[in-house]
Amino acid sequence: MTTISESSKKLDMALSKDRARVLKSLVLSDKLFSFATRAAAYAVLVLLAGIIISLIIGAWPAMKAFGFEFLVTRRWAPQLEPEPVLGALAPIYGTLVSSFIAMLIAVPFGLGIAIFLTELCPHSIRRPIRLSIELLAGIPSIIYGMWGFFVLGPFLANYIEPSIVAAVANIPVLNSIFSGEMVSNLSLFNASLILAIMILPFITAIAVDVFSTVPPVLKEAAYGIGCTTWEVVNNVVLPFTRVGVVGGVMLALGRALGETMAVTFIIGNSFKISGSIFAPSTTISAAIASEFAESEGLHQSALILLGLLLFVLTFIVLASARFMLMRLEKRAGA
Amino acid sequence: MLEKISVKNLKFFYGANMALKGINIPLYANKVTAFIGPSGCGKSTLLRVLNRMYDLYPGQHAEGEVVFDGRNILNSGEDLNLLRARIGMVFQKPTPFPMTIYDNIAFGLKLYENLSKSELDGRVEDALKRAALWNEVKDKLGANGLSLSGGQQQRLCIARTVAIKPEVILFDEPCSALDPISTAKIEELIDELKAEYTIAIVTHNMQQAARVSEYTAFMYLGDLVEFDETSKIFTTPTDPRTQDYITGRFG
Repeated sequence: MTTISESSKKLDMALSKDRARVLKSLVLSDKLFSFATRAAAYAVLVLLAGIIISLIIGAWPAMKAFGFEFLVTRRWAPQLEPEPVLGALAPIYGTLVSSFIAMLIAVPFGLGIAIFLTELCPHSIRRPIRLSIELLAGIPSIIYGMWGFFVLGPFLANYIEPSIVAAVANIPVLNSIFSGEMVSNLSLFNASLILAIMILPFITAIAVDVFSTVPPVLKEAAYGIGCTTWEVVNNVVLPFTRVGVVGGVMLALGRALGETMAVTFIIGNSFKISGSIFAPSTTISAAIASEFAESEGLHQSALILLGLLLFVLTFIVLASARFMLMRLEKRAGA
Repeated sequence: MLEKISVKNLKFFYGANMALKGINIPLYANKVTAFIGPSGCGKSTLLRVLNRMYDLYPGQHAEGEVVFDGRNILNSGEDLNLLRARIGMVFQKPTPFPMTIYDNIAFGLKLYENLSKSELDGRVEDALKRAALWNEVKDKLGANGLSLSGGQQQRLCIARTVAIKPEVILFDEPCSALDPISTAKIEELIDELKAEYTIAIVTHNMQQAARVSEYTAFMYLGDLVEFDETSKIFTTPTDPRTQDYITGRFG
């Protein structure tokens, strides 16, 4: 007995010695690994700070020259002598309105498609529809721009917009929003529609994903007390996935606010604020894209300031989305 | 004795796979019928046929007849929403809806009846009392249903089911996720509920079947092996497979 226990003790010691040596050799690689991951995470913070700082430095001359006036000035006249007059109101307006209209169209469509795909769609056509929506997300934005320029724009201006204008001609408010004065191929409305198509796949894909996280048994329970599909979606699926859906919508909004290429092609790049959505307009990113190459001095600085504003705008949208989600969760919890 | 539901030569298919191979069984009114058998024998499937829950999933279909109050509910013209309101179901895992305790019950009521606020309050209270949950939640009806304990959630689901006054209640292993005390409460509840409802319960717990039911069906591999009074099944079963199962020799 003693020999057995002694020999096993020896074995234990040998093993633990080996183990200690192996562990020691791992310490270094462990440290390296932890350092590498940490560095990657911190690099993002440094990058972010770097971008903000360089934006602020670039925008500083414009900030000094225009101050707060920049935000409320409607005029954009970079060639004016002796001093250019530059104001951000028109691109801010264009950015917000085009994104708002795009969301107005894309959110109901996207959620509708997602509900159809997860709750109602026969199995055989589920995959083809999902696939084509995902392909929609893969189309480069320049192609949307060209299509909007050559196909959608003329179609809207020649067929759709005149009939809307005629239909609301005598209704106050509406007749100024859908005014026929400046109908053109390139318009805020055209850009909004393209934006809506571009963000649709985001909303749909995220909504499909979060809708499929609803436990089947929860849906069965709702069907089990006699709910129709609409009632199940409205009272069980949507409340259950609220957080994810809002998150997806905000992601899409972030993309709509910043989308550049397609919008630059079709919005008309006009710094005039017109009440009508059928008139040309501009957005922050479109203004930067179309003018930056030929700009210098104060003009360039003002464009960089526009970029900083877009950054802040997107940040505010994302932050308020977070805040909203937090409040929703608090109310739902308890 | 009144047959509330008569299952006649019922066959059920998951795609091409036959899960029920011609079942004949009555569910007697105001009695508790227990379904026992090893996993995969088709007892939960049978339950899901009775309220046509399988209709939610493509590729599943049933043949034969399930006669409920003189009508074959497998007919394609059957109004499923109405059927499911008349044949309620309680699931294995508690499934409170993502809303307040009050709304969990009021929600189902509002689907079918146009009730005033005070009537609604009364019905919610009544349902919670029947499910023996009222005393525990009466001061926090506005809290989220998910904030309750597992056993309370399950009783909330029972309350939700009885609130809409079904005629039949199907329990699919209602206690398998619960502790013994909650289990005892739910068994007590089932015993009280049978005065007004016809009850079918699927369980893996043989003692539970023996405690709560008047009739027991033993199923095996998609067949109904034996159906009789519970006391008979557990004391003098006729089929050797039943004998083996209840004595724990397989399953």
